[in-house]
Amino acid sequence: MAIILKGFREVLLRLGPLILLIYVCISEFHTQFYYWSIFSFNLQFIIIYYWILRDPDILGYGFIFLCGFMNDVVLSLPLGTSALSYLFVSLVAAYVRNATVRTSLFTDWFTFVIAIIIGNSIYFFLMNRFANVEITYVSLFYNSFFTFLTYPIFWGIFELYKRFIFARKT
Amino acid sequence: MSTSRDDFSIAIRSALLQRGAKQKFSLFVLILVSIFIFALDNAKLKPIETLRSFINDGIYRISAISSSPIKFSGATKDFFVKHIFVYKENEKLKYEIEELKNKNFETLYLRTENNKLQNILQLEKESPYKAVNAKVILDKNSPYLNSVIINKGTNSGIKLGMPVLSKGNLAGRIVEVNFISSRILLLNDLNSRIPVVVSPKGSQAILAGVGKKNPSLQYLPENFQLSDKENLVFTSGKDGVLFPGIPVGKAILNEDEILVKLLSDPDQIKFVSIALEQQADVGAR
Repeated sequence: MAIILKGFREVLLRLGPLILLIYVCISEFHTQFYYWSIFSFNLQFIIIYYWILRDPDILGYGFIFLCGFMNDVVLSLPLGTSALSYLFVSLVAAYVRNATVRTSLFTDWFTFVIAIIIGNSIYFFLMNRFANVEITYVSLFYNSFFTFLTYPIFWGIFELYKRFIFARKT
Repeated sequence: MSTSRDDFSIAIRSALLQRGAKQKFSLFVLILVSIFIFALDNAKLKPIETLRSFINDGIYRISAISSSPIKFSGATKDFFVKHIFVYKENEKLKYEIEELKNKNFETLYLRTENNKLQNILQLEKESPYKAVNAKVILDKNSPYLNSVIINKGTNSGIKLGMPVLSKGNLAGRIVEVNFISSRILLLNDLNSRIPVVVSPKGSQAILAGVGKKNPSLQYLPENFQLSDKENLVFTSGKDGVLFPGIPVGKAILNEDEILVKLLSDPDQIKFVSIALEQQADVGAR
């Protein structure tokens, strides 16, 4: 019984980032502050980029696709918009993982700019070209900027979490 | 030069096609599937729209359930904040009770007189609209969209474009209808455009959401100036979709633009009524 419980706890811990991603996509979780409305960031991009780059076995591409799909339904966007932008963020992360040998916070952080630009450009292009939804360039810029700024904070949190999982495993 | 290009193509190819130990699909396949789904959704085919409607209903319900911890934590926070200020509030309420007691006698007299006059005029106290009430089940704001999901859909007779009222004031309109859920586009959304009339002069304008709390008035007549009296804003019904005369808000001057302070706070909408049709005989009576 104790072994089963321990195994269950390990699985749950490894599923943590995926559960967080699904929760952020499907629930009322806001990443926009009421009193300072320009402050908003894309937590989904941060989760996807970090885990695909550091430990791709924790976050499967199929689940990222499904999360994008759910996000589109909840926000009433054309189906596939978020999925495509998340998958391109994953592509950048996978490319960086393949192309670099040693990564640090700074290399992650600066390559994350490319991921944000590509992810948001795809989102903006699809919305502007195919959906009848008006988007302000300014809010998209602020969103990208604050997503970039908040990355090191979440990097630290996720790094601690990863070490915690690894420590339990060993 | 050619070596670095080779490295780049190898890394990209590997990122696109490689599957890790626990990856079931490659990125390339999933990107293709996403593009296919996007194209299908944009084709606006009837079967696809019906399917999407069912998917929407299912995901909205799951979303409402998964949001309950957030709602609960919000309610708990409000509860504690209220209790912290309870003493101060108690003092204030005592004072207000005294004032209200004095006014109560006056109100009783006016109510009796009002009932008597209504009986004389044979007026019935009924809403001017045949409406269906609904509860907001999901309020997920994004930096670009301001909309909420309600728990009623085509099963309650709701159709696209119908006006949504909160405490008798316009809160938005229906932009998506599923079988058991619908989406309301709030007035402050960037995509919201409502034809309105500004009292007391009766000037026509378009109420346009600007992504902030207060929408703005556009296409006002030249040299338009706000009156010294209360500048109430009502729907004009010029679009042929919304009923005329629904209260919207008060026009206010903010620097060089005219904004509308909405009567229904977009952040506080919990229950709404969807006006299905106007009761023609109410106005006539």
